[in-house]
Amino acid sequence: MLVVSTDPAHSLGDALGVELSSEPRSLEIPPPGPLSRKKRKGELLAAELDAEQALERWIGERRADLETLAERGTYLDPEDVRRLFDLSLPGVDELVGLVELVRLAGESGCGEIVVDTAPTAHTLRLLAMPGELRRFAEALDRLQERHRAVAETFGGAYRPDRSDAVIDEIEAQGRELEELLRDPARSGVRWVLLPEALSVAETLDGVQALEEAGIPVVELIVNRMTPPPPVPCPVCEARREAEGEAVEELREAFPGYAIRFLPEDLTPLTPLSHRPPPDRERGENAQHAAPVQTPGGRGRPSPGWWGGDGRGVGGEVPRLLFFGGKGGVGKTTCAAATALLLAERWPDRRILLLSTDPAHSLADALEAPLGDDERPVPGAPPGLRARELDAPETFEEWRSRHLGEVEEWLDSAGDLDREALRDLVALAPPGLDELAAVSALIDALFGKTPAYDLVIVDTAPTGHALRLLETPGVMLEWVRTLLSLLLKYREAVRLGRFAEELLELSRGLKRLGETMRDPERTRFLAVTRAAELPRRETLRLLKALDRLGIAAPAVIVDAVLPAGCPRCEREAMAQEKEIALLRQGLERCAIILAPAVFPPPRGVEALKEWGRSWG
Amino acid sequence: MIILDSLLMGGIRFVLDKVAAAVDNEMNDEGSLREDLLAAQMQLELGEIDDEEFAEIERAVLARMREIRESREEGALGLPSDARVIGVDVTFEAPDEPEDR
Repeated sequence: MLVVSTDPAHSLGDALGVELSSEPRSLEIPPPGPLSRKKRKGELLAAELDAEQALERWIGERRADLETLAERGTYLDPEDVRRLFDLSLPGVDELVGLVELVRLAGESGCGEIVVDTAPTAHTLRLLAMPGELRRFAEALDRLQERHRAVAETFGGAYRPDRSDAVIDEIEAQGRELEELLRDPARSGVRWVLLPEALSVAETLDGVQALEEAGIPVVELIVNRMTPPPPVPCPVCEARREAEGEAVEELREAFPGYAIRFLPEDLTPLTPLSHRPPPDRERGENAQHAAPVQTPGGRGRPSPGWWGGDGRGVGGEVPRLLFFGGKGGVGKTTCAAATALLLAERWPDRRILLLSTDPAHSLADALEAPLGDDERPVPGAPPGLRARELDAPETFEEWRSRHLGEVEEWLDSAGDLDREALRDLVALAPPGLDELAAVSALIDALFGKTPAYDLVIVDTAPTGHALRLLETPGVMLEWVRTLLSLLLKYREAVRLGRFAEELLELSRGLKRLGETMRDPERTRFLAVTRAAELPRRETLRLLKALDRLGIAAPAVIVDAVLPAGCPRCEREAMAQEKEIALLRQGLERCAIILAPAVFPPPRGVEALKEWGRSWG
Repeated sequence: MIILDSLLMGGIRFVLDKVAAAVDNEMNDEGSLREDLLAAQMQLELGEIDDEEFAEIERAVLARMREIRESREEGALGLPSDARVIGVDVTFEAPDEPEDR
């Protein structure tokens, strides 16, 4: 059996207590009884997928033929085509995840694969990829059509060449993956959730999307249920009551489904052996013992981590606050509470609370109807607006707004294969969610009159939050390459409004990148829980932010428990230990403790009250 | 041969459209000057030219635009100011058939 993580923020190695890479490694499972160790050795292989490497391999194997197709179907010369193929792509994880899984299964000889996926939204995108592959093959086929027609005209009957074979192969890959995912005998989704209202709401949307796609859901697994307390305990009882309500809602929504419950497990991780923690963990701690960039860079910042009384250390007003972290840690509630408190504190400022996680929870947290427009939140200070970004909708709107310009540009390009290019333009781009989020940020910060003073972003979980932060750079490379191609061919194809738009986009991307790398204007608040896996992921997240040059002045530890009975006492002590470990790794980063409340805070007033209790 | 014909005729039509557009642009060439300015902005954005070079191009383009407007007002071209070239007449002359030797 092979177990693989496709989440760009891998935790599989942490959970197994071993160092993993993109190549499957064999794990030794210590036998529970008298079974010989040797007998069970090699039964389980594990890997953490490296999407960039996998995509490079996938394209590399087909690159010459894909380049030929691009040259035949457009008027680009080989050098232009090479430049385009050398660019990084957004959305790599979803593009190549499934194809790579099949390759790994084939190479390792494993008949069964267990996949630890990224959180909801991006897994739905990953599972939709076979259809996108087939549409890509169709668009390539159109590009090839012209070549076939010319060849037939001059050479009689057309003989398919290598490019045709690649188109067929991509089509077949998409079709086979689609069939595999929809075949209940060969694959199934086990949906894991927490016994919390927001997690249940996300499950409703997610499972519905899977059903619509014809992908079988085998069972629902509710993880981390609070067990009955050993003695009467108000803390455990309040927790169990809140969990009970969430579970009840789940049962009502999924009457025919198998639901499995797993209790909160307080035993430390490292189930495979008593190996020391992976080396990378020690490396991270060492890294973070060194100064982490903070506003002003002078030790631990004051509680004014969000800009204190509204001014940053250098007198600049912060423009962007990102909230990010592992799935299920409480990013949305933290972002919403902060937005409400800041809007109250700065009544004359325009503040936007923007959710860029396609699996939105903001409306559920605020208990307010929200949508893809910026709208006031009932009961919240009037300066606050909130939006749940709908990326496909945004892309559709962008496409219909700019279709005229693209058509106009294609018209001026003469006798090109317009149909083929239209097919390409119509393909949903990879990394759609991140592209739409970047476009929404540029619009909110620089595009409006008046612009927002502050944008608070509730991001998708870690891996894709980092992808979002990388996206302006990736987009800028594409836009600059397109600008330079337009300049190169301007004698044949006039620049027009298409070029104007690209120029505008290039400027916006540059401005956004500068804002994001300015510690006085942009801060990333990492939200975590006092547990081993979130802590390790948080340390890696902070290291990645450091690499991207984005200031992360504070970590919010959510759901810090009060002590009650001996069981929650034990849990609270385990949390304290985790918080101490986190502090060791984050000498120059403020740690904010947000208490656990049961049921979790919902609605404007409850969120504000909860936000005021942070210490 | 229908496809070949359509490809060739498509190509010829494309060239003729370009000729018409070019003539039109040269006559009413504010549009083409705007394109020059846009191209310079793109080059500046890509770092192919610096601010000084851009300012020079901008000055030249704006001066040329002023000239065109002034000459248009004076009716220098002898055409109405909103005149556009919308097509080009082309006559093909087949060369004489080579004589049999």
